[in-house]
Amino acid sequence: MFSKLTIRQFKRFRSIKRAWISLWILSALFILSLFSEQIANDKPLLLGYNGAIHFPTLKFYSDQKFGGLYKTEADYKKLDEDPAFHAQGGWMLFPPVRFDPYSSDWSEPGAPPHAPSLRHPLGTDNAARDVFARILYGFRTGMLFSLALTVISTITGFILGAVQGYAGRYVDLAMQRIIEMWSALPFLYVVILMASIYGQNFAVLLLVFCMFRWIATSYYIRAEFLRLKNQTFVHASKATGSSHLRIIFSQILPNSLNPVITLFPFGLITGISSLTALDFLGFGLAPPEPSWGELLQQGLQNLTAPWVAISSVTALFITLLLASFIGEGARAAFDTKAEE
Amino acid sequence: MSEPILKVENLEINFHADGQTTEAVKGISFSLHEEKVLAVVGESGSGKSVTAMSITRLLPEAPVCQVRGSINFMQQDMLTLKNRQLRDIRGKDIAYIFQEPGTSLNPVFSIGSQIAEVIKLHRPEITDVKAEIVRVLDLVGIHDAEKRIQAYPHELSGGMQQRVMIAMALACHPKILIADEPTTALDVTIQKQIIDLLKELKTKLKMSIILITHNFGIIKGFADDVIVMFRGKIVESGPAEKVLQNPQHPYTQALIECIPRLGVRKERLTTIQHEELEKINAS
Repeated sequence: MFSKLTIRQFKRFRSIKRAWISLWILSALFILSLFSEQIANDKPLLLGYNGAIHFPTLKFYSDQKFGGLYKTEADYKKLDEDPAFHAQGGWMLFPPVRFDPYSSDWSEPGAPPHAPSLRHPLGTDNAARDVFARILYGFRTGMLFSLALTVISTITGFILGAVQGYAGRYVDLAMQRIIEMWSALPFLYVVILMASIYGQNFAVLLLVFCMFRWIATSYYIRAEFLRLKNQTFVHASKATGSSHLRIIFSQILPNSLNPVITLFPFGLITGISSLTALDFLGFGLAPPEPSWGELLQQGLQNLTAPWVAISSVTALFITLLLASFIGEGARAAFDTKAEE
Repeated sequence: MSEPILKVENLEINFHADGQTTEAVKGISFSLHEEKVLAVVGESGSGKSVTAMSITRLLPEAPVCQVRGSINFMQQDMLTLKNRQLRDIRGKDIAYIFQEPGTSLNPVFSIGSQIAEVIKLHRPEITDVKAEIVRVLDLVGIHDAEKRIQAYPHELSGGMQQRVMIAMALACHPKILIADEPTTALDVTIQKQIIDLLKELKTKLKMSIILITHNFGIIKGFADDVIVMFRGKIVESGPAEKVLQNPQHPYTQALIECIPRLGVRKERLTTIQHEELEKINAS
C-alpha cells in the first residue's frame, strides 16, 4: 500500500531517535489525557453499594440511588464521610487525584492559592482549584484544539492551494488577491468580535482560527502545484488521456505531500501556543474552562505563589519542545532535498 | 495510395504572452500513412515539438495558445473534438514518448503501477492487468518483468526508463506513436537499441510513427518520409531516401553536413550564414 519511498522516509524518521521518542511521549501523554476523568476527578472510579459496583466517572447516578434525598448527582465526597453509606456496605475507589478542574477545595487551611501538598501535588490556583487537574484537562483541550485546527486548515489550505496552483493564471491571480485581503484582516479583532456575538467557546474559536490558519498551507501547496504541473510526467500523464481530476489526485498530490507532513507538527505547535496566548489575554475559552493561558495569567498575578506559573510554563515548554523535536525529525526525514 | 491516417493542413500555432505574439508554426501541411514512419527534423525552436503536441491538443488552452488549420485523424477533426473524446484518443489511439525518460515517469510510483494505470484507463476489459504488464514489458525487451514491476523509476537506467515509457505508450496498441526526440537524452549505443526496438515494434504492432529529431543520423534506414522544419515552416519534404541523398534546401544540406562521418576530419560544423537566413525567410 505504501510506496518504498514512504517506507524509507518512515524508517529514516524512526532512526532519528529524538524525534521518534518525542512522538511516543507526546502520543502517550495525549492518549492518557483522553482519560483525564479517570485521573483527576471529584468522583470515585469505582463505587460499591449494596453489593453492586458503579462507575461514577462514566455515568450519572442520582443522590437517591445511594440513600440520599435528591435527584441531583450524588456528592461523593460527602457520601464517603456518611456513616449510613458505609453501613450499607458502601466503598469507593478514588482516582489518583481527587479533584476535578472545576471544583474548589475550601477545606484547605488558609487562603488560596495553596502551596503543593500531598493533597494537591502542584498546589491550587487562586480559586482553590487543583493545578494538576487544570493542567491535565487544559492539555487535552489544547491538543484536541490544535489537532482539529491543523487537520481542518491543512485540508482547506490543500484544496484552495491546489485549485490556485493547478488552474493558474486568472484564477490564481484573483484568489491570490482575495487571500491577501483576507490575511490583512486583524485576527485578534475578528476573534473578539466573533466571540462577543457567538460566545467564547471551543467551536467558535476553532472556526476563527481555521479561517486564518489555512493560508500558510495554501501558499506551500500552490507553489508545489505550480512546480509539479509543468513536470514532464504530468504532461506524459495528460498525453495518455488522464482527466484533470486524475492528474491532480494520482500524479501531483502524491508528489506534494512532503510539505504537508513536514508542516503538521509545526501546525500543532502554533495551534497550542496561539490558543494559550489568546487564553492568556482573556479572549480564549470562557473562564471556568481549564486552560494553560488562563493559568499563566494567574501565575503572573500571583507571583508569590510560583507553583502556578512554574507548573504551567513547564507543561507548555515540554509540550512545545516535544512537538518541535517531532517536527524537526519529520523535516529531516521527509525532505527530498536532504536525500541527495 | 490509401487514405492517410493523419492529415494536417495549414496548421498555424501562435503563442500569446505579455502582449506579444509568437508564431511558432506558420501554416504547415503534411500527412502520415498507415504503418509508415514520418520523421520531423529541425533545430531547436523550429516548431517540431509544438506541432507534435498540437495533434492531440496538449498545448495550453485558447487565450495563451491559438491553433488554426485542420488536424484530421481517422475522419475526426481533432481541433473541434470535445475534451472527453480527446482523452479517449490520447494514449489509446495516439501515444507519446518524450525526450527525458527520467522525468516522464512519476517518481513516487513503481513502474508496474504506472503501466497499470494506462491499461485500466483505456482497456477496462482486461482482467489480468499484471499479466498484461508483463507482456508489454516483455515486448520492449525487459525480460525479467516480474521483478521489474516493483522497481521505481530512479532504480532504472536511462535506456531502461525509455523502454518503460515505450511500454506505457504501447500498452493500448496505439495507431500512431509520436516519439519526441526519444533518444536525445541517451548515449549513442542505447540510442541505436531504442531505434531498433521502435523499428521492430512498428512492424509487429502495425502502427505509424512520427519521429521528431534534430539528428539526421538516426532516421537513416528508419524513416519513410521526412519533413524538414525551420522557423515554423516546412522547407523540404519527401521520401527519406531522396532527401538524404539529394537535399535541395541549403538548411537541409547544412543539417546533413552535421552528421559526423568516420574518417572525415572536420574543424567546424556547418552553420547557416545570415544572408542565407534572410533568403529562407523571404521565400
